[in-house]
Amino acid sequence: MVAETIVAPSRAPAKRRGHLRLSRRERRNLAVGLLFISPWLIGFLVFLVYPIVYTIRISFTRYTGFGEPEWIGLDNYRNMLHDDLFWTAVYNTLYYTALAVPIGAVVAMILALAMNQPLPEVPIYRAIIYIPSVIPLFTLTFVYQNLVHPTQGVFNRFLIWLGLPNINWFGDPRYAKLALVLLAQYGAGQVAVIFLAALKGIPASLYEAASLDGASAWRRFWGITLPLMTPVILYDLILGVSLGLQIFTQVYIISGDPPGGPANSTLMYVVYLYNNAFRFGAMGYAAALAWVLFVVTLVLALLIFRSSRWWVHYETT
Amino acid sequence: MGNDAWRDLVRKLRSRRIDRREFMKRASALGAGAMAISGALRQVPTRAQEPTTVTFWTTFTDPDLSILQSMVETYNSQAQGHQVELVQIPPAQVTDVTKLMTAVRGGTGPDVYHLDRFIVAQRAADGLLQDLSGLGADLSPYIAFARAEATFNGKPYALPFDTDARALYYRHDLLQSAGIDPAELDPANGPVTWDRIAEIAGPLNQQDSAGNYTRMGFIPWVNQGWHYTFGFSWGASFFDEATCTVTPDEQAMVDASTWVQNYCIELDAAKVNAFGGPTMQPGFPVQQHPFIVGTLAMQITGDWAINQMETYAPDAEYGITWMPVPKEGDQSVTWAGGWSVVIPQGAKHVEEAWTFMQWFAGEPGQRIYTKESKHLPTIEALLSDTELFEGRHQFFAELLPTAKNRPPLPVGAKYWDELTVAWQKIYLNEEEPASALATVKERVQPDLQRFCPIEMS
Repeated sequence: MVAETIVAPSRAPAKRRGHLRLSRRERRNLAVGLLFISPWLIGFLVFLVYPIVYTIRISFTRYTGFGEPEWIGLDNYRNMLHDDLFWTAVYNTLYYTALAVPIGAVVAMILALAMNQPLPEVPIYRAIIYIPSVIPLFTLTFVYQNLVHPTQGVFNRFLIWLGLPNINWFGDPRYAKLALVLLAQYGAGQVAVIFLAALKGIPASLYEAASLDGASAWRRFWGITLPLMTPVILYDLILGVSLGLQIFTQVYIISGDPPGGPANSTLMYVVYLYNNAFRFGAMGYAAALAWVLFVVTLVLALLIFRSSRWWVHYETT
Repeated sequence: MGNDAWRDLVRKLRSRRIDRREFMKRASALGAGAMAISGALRQVPTRAQEPTTVTFWTTFTDPDLSILQSMVETYNSQAQGHQVELVQIPPAQVTDVTKLMTAVRGGTGPDVYHLDRFIVAQRAADGLLQDLSGLGADLSPYIAFARAEATFNGKPYALPFDTDARALYYRHDLLQSAGIDPAELDPANGPVTWDRIAEIAGPLNQQDSAGNYTRMGFIPWVNQGWHYTFGFSWGASFFDEATCTVTPDEQAMVDASTWVQNYCIELDAAKVNAFGGPTMQPGFPVQQHPFIVGTLAMQITGDWAINQMETYAPDAEYGITWMPVPKEGDQSVTWAGGWSVVIPQGAKHVEEAWTFMQWFAGEPGQRIYTKESKHLPTIEALLSDTELFEGRHQFFAELLPTAKNRPPLPVGAKYWDELTVAWQKIYLNEEEPASALATVKERVQPDLQRFCPIEMS
């Protein structure tokens, strides 16, 4: 990866370090500019910055959400280490993310390659594949729940027809997480469309040159397509991991009472955080969990980003 | 007036008599002025004559929701100076009060909230509910366990509403199809043992070619076959007041759980789950329940199921009998739950809310609700009023005096959730009962400790 250097325009007046000398006109422009973006600015400060700072504070307290928070120092963070359910939730979430994200990338790649074929009806397929991405997640989850219903689900009827055992996807702790991984593939359409855009951006001349040199389709995929797709795959990985670690809605709808069942098999990290905040009256502990999640997500994203220097190829001219 | 000023401003801009900056300034001033005037107009007491609206949130669904609606209408027709608005919020899971918590913090909470009574203590401990002593709450007309559930630290935080009891329901047609005489389960013959229920259920189980159940005799954990149901039946108490300790791991509970686990293992726990599991999902339509459609012969459920049967399976012949017992000659034990009404923090019309609650959870309200819903009243005097209970309903009223109740602890919600997770591990054969129940204790006791000692009475 080549870092870009931004060169300050030569017209910019020389400024002493730490001092921002603005003319009256510039100051007025700045004020007007800030005024124009103030709806966003106020929203950002009130709905994002304030809650973030607030959760840091309450993560050091015992707090139900009502009354006065009681300062307990680092206890919430210490308790996490000895909390079995915390580790169950970490395991479940990593299991889900480790499967759902790479499988999602492969499915999206296959879909993108299929949509890149020069067929007249491709736009129709593209629309169909994209539809699940515009349907609200809870609707999609309800539809999926009915498809894999052990007695009435079409998908399960199909399994039985094939002579396979009837699986109670969300009722059996052995399959519940896998069922969530499968459900995540509904979202592949969205990624596939981004992949498709990247595919279209690969210069045809590269393929022509490779064909002239006798490269097979398989060889062209591994030698040209995949390397030139790596920047978007990197984007998908970082986004996918961040979203995967925050899985909540599907589990909340499907897993019954209490959320995360059966037998804690779908107790994802954010579900556990939610249970603590809104069922057990442990808002302080939930805030601490949220901060740990933030740090872990950040570290993972940085690791993926750092690893990209070995496997991401940027097209150079 | 505002319109004219606006037109004038636009005209000036078009004719270039003012520049764009000046136009923006004046337009903003005009807008701010208009808002100030409209705000001031809203304060003019033209609406002062309108009655106060008391907001009442419930998670109930039909058929009980319609009963609440008609109760509120009856109340409104006689209320003076205020009206109650019943708002159904999305049906929550047993211990979830997210919507209430967030609304109260946001200053948009209701004046009255319908709360599952066994978690009143926990929500009161959290600081979510208002202490009702200042309003002169008197819980003495209510039955003892309902009083205990509505109290935290010796102070009343709720008015008890209804209660209920659990019993064994059995379908005559299914039993007869397997050559069993339903008369054996007649309440007049006393309770049968759990083992006998397993024997009766055996021949009723049917599987398809792939081994999936298409009909079953009995599933212990379906509907009201909770941890508490079996634990109480085996004599468990779940809490030791003397040592202020939760006791999910007591021997009686381990024995009860072992019976349930063995029953499920015998029939293949995963297959039993594939048949019965969907019914335990939130929002499962009651009209599709296997007992109602005739693919499950026996189940444990509560008094409210009488109405469900009347509505969805009016032609089904069925009976209701005692909760089975571990050994011949044991006393049959059931348990009672029920709802309450509370005033959350931040309620805007406390006086009116209180007036409504006294009617709703008092004799007039409970009379209507008991008759219509087939639940039971929590006002002691009403229990002896035979007019309120007809036919099958009477059986449940007779169960109530000896019914157990969940210990009303300030960790009641967490205790329930942890027991439910352990229960799933037990009936799905994921873990040995003793170790699953020990985990419950490990997770709940530390939270309880800071409230000790606790006086149940």
